[in-house]
Amino acid sequence: MARLQLEGLSKRYNEFYAARDIHLDVAEGEMLVLLGPSGCGKTTTLRMIAGFVEPSEGVIRIGGEDVTWHPPWKRSTGLVFQNYALFPHLTVARNLAFGLEMRRVEKSEIDRRVHDALAMVRLDHLADRLPRQLSGGQQQRVALARALVVRPDVLLLDEPLSNLDAKLREEVRIEIRALQQRLGITTVMVTHDQEEALSMADRLVVMKEGEVRQIGSQQELYERPVDRFVASFVGRSSFLRGRLADGILRTEGGLEVRCSDGPNGPAAVAIRPERVTVAREAPSAENVFPGEVEHVSYLGGSIDVRVRLSPKDVVVAQMPNVEGGWLPQAGDRVHAGWSASAKAFADTETEEGTAQVS
Amino acid sequence: MSDAGAGGRADRPSTLFSASTLIGPATLLVAIGILAPMLFLARYSLNLYDPRLLMIEAFSPANYIAFFSDPFYLGVFFTTLRVSFVCTAVCIVLGFPLAYLLARTGSRMKNLMIIGIVIPLFVGNAVRAAGWMTFFGSRGLLSVTLMDLGLRDGPTEIMFTETAVIIGIIAVNLPYMVLTLQSVLEGIDRNLEEAAFSLGAPPWTMFRRVLWPLALPGIAAGTILCFILAMNAYATPVLLGGPQFRMMAPMVYNQFQLNNWPLAAALAFILMATTLGLTVVAGLMTRQSFRG
Repeated sequence: MARLQLEGLSKRYNEFYAARDIHLDVAEGEMLVLLGPSGCGKTTTLRMIAGFVEPSEGVIRIGGEDVTWHPPWKRSTGLVFQNYALFPHLTVARNLAFGLEMRRVEKSEIDRRVHDALAMVRLDHLADRLPRQLSGGQQQRVALARALVVRPDVLLLDEPLSNLDAKLREEVRIEIRALQQRLGITTVMVTHDQEEALSMADRLVVMKEGEVRQIGSQQELYERPVDRFVASFVGRSSFLRGRLADGILRTEGGLEVRCSDGPNGPAAVAIRPERVTVAREAPSAENVFPGEVEHVSYLGGSIDVRVRLSPKDVVVAQMPNVEGGWLPQAGDRVHAGWSASAKAFADTETEEGTAQVS
Repeated sequence: MSDAGAGGRADRPSTLFSASTLIGPATLLVAIGILAPMLFLARYSLNLYDPRLLMIEAFSPANYIAFFSDPFYLGVFFTTLRVSFVCTAVCIVLGFPLAYLLARTGSRMKNLMIIGIVIPLFVGNAVRAAGWMTFFGSRGLLSVTLMDLGLRDGPTEIMFTETAVIIGIIAVNLPYMVLTLQSVLEGIDRNLEEAAFSLGAPPWTMFRRVLWPLALPGIAAGTILCFILAMNAYATPVLLGGPQFRMMAPMVYNQFQLNNWPLAAALAFILMATTLGLTVVAGLMTRQSFRG
């Protein structure tokens, strides 16, 4: 249990930065989640903390101690791999004992701690099985117990849930988070799954192209994203693109959208689907535009309605599925409305097309 | 089992390529080409030899007794075992790092490296031994270089020694060892190594506790292959060992040349039985330690 600090950490391969100038300060017992698409540098950062990748620049401190140049086996980090990486030739109990044997813990103490750790993940009855005889979820818990049994200062989780099926994932998510909080262990998790990140983190770090874009709580990232990428990666957004001048965005399709102020010039407004009202009569809102329903996705808990406002502008509205409520059909003439608090960002990124919901 | 609706059995491809069809030709070849001659040899080895009459029909263990009671034959036998053990051990020690590098490299040169390892196999053993001869001889490259560098005063004679034979056999066998180990090492998840590191194991401990036990089936396969090849080496000991150096395979051939078929057959069987026996022992040992 210790504070983890990354100070100006970079990894450069020739001219290419896999991670660039990463500053992170993870408090004791905090769970920090690195979130981003593949290739954003989150895994490189995690592997630098674990000691498998040598940083090109910067310092890593665990509990205040500079461990930047310590080899992996001299760091007090517990790593859980995406594919669990359990030793296939050792039983569950021997897998857990491995790290303790490396630390020359006494035999009776090893037995006791292995047993306790297995009980902690409710697998004490499987101690003598080989990893291949376990289900994916059980292997995952063994991997977690193996990392925790040595009582590391920092727990590192590399996409720990991505090999589990969707149902199990939610269960394990809650279990890992509860365990992490109970043990109060400083944790860094890497994931590309925003739902996973949002549900487990104390704080989130959104990364892209090797750089940290934003650090903050779930609410901060969702309500006050610093740029268009964060707005599209955390939660969903439809984007209307155009030119911003004095809090009004003129889209290419000719709409005038009132939005939060931003730098004048090419810009995009991010509109959260659940904050768009779709109705046959014009609703009362600061931005109201007539349009035509293009597509309806009935999702059960909610209904996604794609509304074309102009030849170039489309928004997606997420309607609650109210009993006896109105269900729009493709082709319906409707009105879409939303508030002027929608965030505008300088439109410098071109990778997302207009009106993409991501 | 209901096949109804799936059409007649005859037009199903699984019938066409059934197991017996697939292994049939090879089985036939083995039966005629290997088993039959071996039965003849086994019978011959129990016959007696007379310099005048050559082979005399008998049913006697005399050839085997002669072998195990004659220090000359036993000497050849132990030389063969010694050379094979040394060659195999060196092949493991040299081959493992090379195989590991090949298995783990992300380099685009990997295919070239593999070709580099396979290419020596394109050269026949006799041709290769001839190459070594120019290198090992008293006026060969090695000797002359050592003298020119002032490292040795007189010529260095490696040619026609056991050392020359061992070097020659290692050169022949190493590619087999490397390729066998490489395919096994490639199947070992790299994350397992990293998991061991992150749990506190330094590299040597990781190797001992994780890599070695997981690679054991491959090491066993490579060892057995290497050992069989060394035990039965013919061209290399004849060409690099010279007339004074003897190993089993050339001796078998010598006895055939002398028309002593019964003794040659007995020698062949002793060689084969020893190789097989040690192979089985090695296989059992690795299986046991893999379970433990």
